[in-house]
This record gives sequence, structure tokens and C-alpha cells, in this order.
Amino acid sequence: MADLGRAALLLTLGLSVYALVAGAAAAALGRRRLAHSARNALYASFLSTLVASVVLVAGFVRDDFSLAYVAGHSSRDLPLQYKLSAFWGGQEGSLLLWLLILTAYASLAIWFARRRAADLVVWVTPVLAGIGVAFTWLLVAVSSPFDTIAAPADGSGLNPSLQNPYMVIHPVFLYLGYVGLAVPFAFAMGALLSGRTDERWIVATRRWTIIAWTALGVGQLLGAHWAYQEVGWGGYYAWDPVENAALMPWLVATAFLHSVMIQEKRGMLRVWNVSLVGLAFCLSLFGTFLTRSGIVSSIHSFTQSGIGPWFLAFVVIAVVFTTVMIWLRLPQLRTSARLESLVSREAAFLYNNLLLVALGLTILWGTAWPIVSEAVRGEAVVVGRPYYDFFLRIFGLPLLLLMGIGPLIAWRRASLRGLARVFVWPAGVALATGAFLILLGAGSSIPGLIAYTFSAFVLAAIVLEFARGTAARRALTGESVPAAFGQLIGRNRRRYGGYVVHASIVLLAIGVAGSSAYDSVAEGRLARGESLTVGDYTLTYRALTERDGANATEIRALLDVRRGGEELGTVSAGKNAYSAEQQVSNEVGIRSDLLTGEDLFVIAEQVRDDGAVFFRVFVKPLVNLIWLAGLVFVLGSLITLWPDAREERRLATRYARAGEPADRPAT
Amino acid sequence: MARSSSPARLVVALSVAAVLAVFLLYTSLAGGGTPSVAPSELDGKTGEVSLVGRVVGTPSGDPHGEGLRFTLEDIEGKQKERVTVIYKGSVPDLFRTGRDLVVTGTRHGDGTFVTTPGSMITKCPSKYQAADSAA
Amino acid sequence: MTVWLVLGAALAVALVVVVALPFLRDPAPSSDSLHELTAAERERLEAQEARDRALAALKELEADHRAGRVSDEDYRSVIGVVRRDAADALRRLDRVEGARAGGAKSR
Repeated sequence: MADLGRAALLLTLGLSVYALVAGAAAAALGRRRLAHSARNALYASFLSTLVASVVLVAGFVRDDFSLAYVAGHSSRDLPLQYKLSAFWGGQEGSLLLWLLILTAYASLAIWFARRRAADLVVWVTPVLAGIGVAFTWLLVAVSSPFDTIAAPADGSGLNPSLQNPYMVIHPVFLYLGYVGLAVPFAFAMGALLSGRTDERWIVATRRWTIIAWTALGVGQLLGAHWAYQEVGWGGYYAWDPVENAALMPWLVATAFLHSVMIQEKRGMLRVWNVSLVGLAFCLSLFGTFLTRSGIVSSIHSFTQSGIGPWFLAFVVIAVVFTTVMIWLRLPQLRTSARLESLVSREAAFLYNNLLLVALGLTILWGTAWPIVSEAVRGEAVVVGRPYYDFFLRIFGLPLLLLMGIGPLIAWRRASLRGLARVFVWPAGVALATGAFLILLGAGSSIPGLIAYTFSAFVLAAIVLEFARGTAARRALTGESVPAAFGQLIGRNRRRYGGYVVHASIVLLAIGVAGSSAYDSVAEGRLARGESLTVGDYTLTYRALTERDGANATEIRALLDVRRGGEELGTVSAGKNAYSAEQQVSNEVGIRSDLLTGEDLFVIAEQVRDDGAVFFRVFVKPLVNLIWLAGLVFVLGSLITLWPDAREERRLATRYARAGEPADRPAT
Repeated sequence: MARSSSPARLVVALSVAAVLAVFLLYTSLAGGGTPSVAPSELDGKTGEVSLVGRVVGTPSGDPHGEGLRFTLEDIEGKQKERVTVIYKGSVPDLFRTGRDLVVTGTRHGDGTFVTTPGSMITKCPSKYQAADSAA
Repeated sequence: MTVWLVLGAALAVALVVVVALPFLRDPAPSSDSLHELTAAERERLEAQEARDRALAALKELEADHRAGRVSDEDYRSVIGVVRRDAADALRRLDRVEGARAGGAKSR
């Protein structure tokens, strides 16, 4: 069966090379059938990659340990869902997943755009094919999932710390995000290659960008939740290089999402936009390189593998290609539209972009610094948490404020008086909230207080927008409040969906501020009957239990929880000892208060033979808002993505009439 | 393009300058970070460093008491050296003999490496590589 | 093992056919050139985009003003420019379409 897998990948390589070469030739020479053939090769490459993937899945399901990859990541008694997720449990399988998603996205994007932007698509095909060639080459020549060995009796199994539902979904979402950025990138490059200065590439890729961006965001939140609940060190983000590898392209993609709106409305920032999308994609590739090459020591560190140098080469090629294309097309990209005022929505979006890119670049610098310093000074220097926290605040807090200002400020130019009128209510709410919070003791952390105050401002602005819009609609149509509200959102999906997404980011900010600036921690060794106080809570260690589970011995310490004299139940924390893998995992106990969103987070760090346990306990205020924010985020994205029949018709008319002679055969 | 200096260019230039200024200010005040060294590179290093190595031998002691004592060896290289580490604070689950880890601290006069509490990070083993059989 | 190789070969053949399909279906076409937008068509497309953009901006300004997002003062200071942009865009599109129509007629 490995033969079929290998053959399928070789086919993908051949098809991708053909799509690249034939596609480029067809575009340069203007050959219709060759262009069609190149597109078909791209679709076919998805089919052959799918076959290879099915072969690998079958190998896992059938316990085919003659495949080295299956033997290395699975075992007979592994539950089915983990056998399936073991597909991407290792390097070779991850690359195959990358390629599968790439060819799928590429085929779909090209299919949907083939009529409306035919002359753009002829150039997009070779770009997407080129990316495919890179990954397929790695899979065929450097890191194949179909290497065979003499089949052992049983496989090595999956690390217990990876046997949880997160392993099934977190990598998939991240990849849907990373790879998804290739689509707007390819369309942008296609536009540059074809010498077009119209905005079809943006219109064609708008939804793809949002889907990729949403997936990348959700993937990161899933990873954070995994770290919080399963790894259980008391936090959800460690500024680890692999975590940053996903955050950087996400930040740049966020900037891109906003600046394309400026191009759509005012025709400005064309050079900036193609640069941003190039940067986002290159960061996505670079992030994959960082994760795979073992070049930066990280909690996720993987061995020094042969694909590191190759990936670096791909990143360099992508950067050079993008830069050259932009430079060549610079004259055509320049427009006469100008920023008229530093106080306008265009300016606000520009500030937003600058802050996001600045944050992304400082994270990049911090992540790459060990490599750079080793090369330059012979000594790898690692930056710590304070570096990242500092810049997150310096850039993040103004960004938070801008989220409230941007949507309300006028296009072109806004007078300060006009601004004052629009912002008087949200500012008032914010100041009142700030004062109230100081009374509650939030002044203990200035950044936290600022974050809360700005969040109040943004939320008030958003609520005001919904209220104003509904009222305006009612004045026009006389509908009832719910109907007007629904119609308002339905007819302005991008705007109001965007507001919902902003609200989710505000929730995220509140959750992060609360759980990091206002948390409490206490630790100590307790014998049975002894208590520990943290924040408002008192925990009393009652009993220690030991239970033999499916593949591990589960040791749990039970604690009674009280707060302000009220009994709140019990929480248990402990460890699982996996006999087969000779490993111990931390099982934290979390008690979530649904009313306040705060978590009592208990780690049983050390269990002594005499039954005494060393506990480390956190109180994390508002931390559950972070997970709620994830749900609101997805809701907002869905609203903006929802197809709008009127918009579709308008675009169809515009592009269909882009001069098609009567005798042109349908492609 | 005939119009001279639009505000956009000015804004971008000033912002870039501002960001660089903030960045330089921070790094000069807070220091550039801690060097990452292996046990064989510890000689002569004063101040806080990030020690990277593999656990060898049997750890002993109480991390929440007088300290967990264990030995770290270079992960790679021909001249492997060892250093005794005294660690207090949370010990990650994955800690065991044979595991690679990073810990921050300073070298003391008696040759031991004393760590900043809670600064141990173990590397996620065998995630993208086959686990050692019967490890 | 041979079964898999045969399947692999069959897959290869099928996919090669898919790739060759455009040539097999249309061995002697009247025109094999890709329809590239002529300069005139490109200009028309851009003019349409500019018109859509300008009209959308005008509509949005009016809606914002009605809803109270934009004050009377701000509205007055910007409406002139926005209206002029819209007029310019419409004029440009007319000119481009007129040229095209004129060209078509003369053919």
C-alpha cells in the first residue's frame, strides 16, 4: 500500500510541476487550452494528494505497522479518533496535511474565480502550483510518510499528553489558517504578474482571507485552552516560539483585512496591501519553518530535521519573488488618492495597521533573536516574558482604543467637534467605568485598568452603533425593534459582523487583563485537614484517592472550597501515572464560577508518600471570557462571510460586462 | 504623484521612528535577554543564563523543600560536561531522566547551578519523532 | 503489492487524461488565444470600479448623516468633494463606454 501512496505523491509532484510550467507558459503566451489544462492539473493534484492521504489514513486504521510513520505514532490499543489524529502527529503527516489543504483550497479558489476573473486566474494557477511543488518536493524527496520498515508487532503509540480531543482539532484549524493565507497571496501575485491594477483580486479573495484568518484565530484559542486545561501550568500563553509562529501571521492578516477595506472604498494603499499579504504568507511559511527545524529551543521543540534548510530556502524565494514583483509593478500601483486628514477613518485604519505590524515585527524579532544573536555573537540569547508583555501593552492598548474610534469616525476628514459629538457617550461610559473600577480596587494594575476602561469605551461605542442603526432603520421603515435589528444586520453584514468581531476581541482583552493583571496565587504543602487561602477562597485538603483507569493510575487530592463562609463544593487535582509510557501527567482541578467568569485553578504539584500534597492555587478573574470571546468571534465572522445576494449580483454585473466578445468559447 | 509629501508618508515615517525609539529604549533599559548556554559553556559566565541540557542520573531532593538536585549534561557535542542543578519551584510533568530541558539561573562558586524558582521548561518529547521504544 | 501499483498506474492514466482534456475536447479550435482584456476593456473595468466606489461613498455619507454618525458640519465640509468625485467617475465611465460603443458601431 505504501507503493500507492508514494506513487500518488509522485503524481502530485508531476502535476504540480506541469501546472507551474504550463500555467506560466499559458499566461505569458495567452494560450487558452494550455491554461485550462494547467488548471485541470491543479485539480488533479488535489485528487492525487487525497489518494495519498487516504492511503495513510487506511494505514492507521488497519494498524499497518510496515509503514514507519504509522509504527512511530500509533499502536493497536489507541482509540480510533487518536489513530486518525496521529495522521498529523508527526512531521511527514503534517506536511501531507498542509499539502492536502493547499491543493483543496487552490482547486476551490480557482474553480470559483475561473469565469469572473479568467485573465487573473491564468496567473494565479502557476503561483499556487509553485507552492504545491515546494511542499510535494519535501514529501517525495526529503520526508516521506510512506517509508517502510519491517513491521513490528505493535507501534510506539501516541504520547499520552497528545491523547486528548484538542489534538484532533487544534492542528487542523491552525493549518486551515496557515495554508489559507496562500490564496490571497497567490491572487495578489497573480494580479501583479498580470499587470492588473483593478481590485478583482481583493474581491475574489475576501472570503478566503476571512476564513483563513478565523481558522487561525480559533486554532490559537484552542491551543491556549489546551495549554490551560491539559498542560496546566496556570497560564494559556507562554510566548513560546511556536505559539508566536501562529500569532505573527494572524496579526499581519488582521492588518490586511482592514487595509483592503480602504482600498475598496478609496482606492488607496495598493502597494501597502500587496506587501501586507506577502508578509502574512511569508510569516506563515516562516512560522512553519520555525516549528519544524528545531532551530529555536522551545517547549514544542522538534528534532533538528532535514527540512529546515529547505523551508528556509522556500521562505527566501517567496520573499524575493514578492519584493521583485512589487518593485516591478510599482508605477502601476501608485494612485492619486491621498490621505486628506490625519483625523479620518482612513488614518485610523492606517494607525491600526501600523500598530498591528509593529506588534507582529517585535514578536518576530523576539522569536528570531536567539538565532540572530547566535549567528552574530556566537551565543544564543533568549528574550523573556517581560519583553513581550511590554510590547503587547504598548501596541495593544492603543489598538483596543482604535477599535472603538475607527468605525465611528468619518471618512476623508472628521472635525474635532464632530468627533466629540460622536464619542461623548462612549467616553462618558468609559470614564465612569474606570472610576467605578478604581473604587473596586482595579487601580492595583495600571495597564489592567486602562484595558478595562478602553474596553468599556469600545463596547459602549458598539452598542451605540447597533442602537443608532436600528433607530435609523425604524425611522425609515417603521419596523418593530427586532425586525429592524435583524434587517439592519442582514443588509450590512460586513459592517455589523465586524462589530461583533470587535466585541469578541474586547471580551478577549477583558479576559486577558483580568486573568493576568488581577490574578492571585498561593502555594504550600498541606497535610490532610489543613487549609490554604487564596484571594477570597479557602481550600481545605480532605482526602487522597487512587484509582486504576484505562491506561493510567489516577491519583486525586480532594479539596473543599469555601468563599466568604459559603460552601462551594469540592475540587480535585492530581496526577495520572501512565505505566506503559512511564510518564506522569498533571491533572489540574478547575472550578469555574459562571457568574463572575473567574476560575479557581488548583495544581497538585507534589504528592508525598505520607499523603501530604504541595498545592499551587491560582484565582484567575474573568478568564472564561477568553473562551466566550472565541464563540463570539466565530459568530461575527460567520455574519461577515454570509453571502449577500444583492452584492453578488452587483459584482457579477460589473465583471461579466468586462468585455466578452460574442465568439469567445466558454472556458 | 505630483502632490508633495502627503500626510500618509509623514505618518508612516514618524510611526516607524517612534516604534524604533520605543524598542531601543526598552532593550537598553531592560537588557537584551538571557544567554542560552549548555553545561560545557558555563565556565566564566556570571549573571543569569538559560541552561539547556539533558537530565542524567537520578534526581533527588524536594523541589518544594531544600531543592531538587539533578545533573544536566550537554545534549550534543563531543565534549559533554555535567553540572549539578539545584531547583526549587514547580516541576513540569515531563521531567525525568533523559529529558531535555531549559532552566534559568546562575552558577555559584561551588560549581552548582542555582535556579530561579519555577523557571524549568521541559521539551515536549517525541512529538514529531518516533518515541524511543521501551524508553 | 502489485495491486497497489496497478491502482497507482490507473490513477496516473486517469489524471493525465484530465490534464489533457482541453486538448482532446477541442483539437482544432477556431481560436486558442486566451481572452485577455484589451486596454479599452481594462479601462472600462477600472472606470466601473471607480464609479461604484464613488457612488457607494456618496450613499454611505448620506446614510451616516441621516443616522447621526456624521454631524451637519462634517457633512457640509465633505459632501462637495464626494459629489464631485461621483460626478467625475460617472463622466469617466460615460466617456469610456462611449468610446467603446463608438468603436463597435464603426466596425
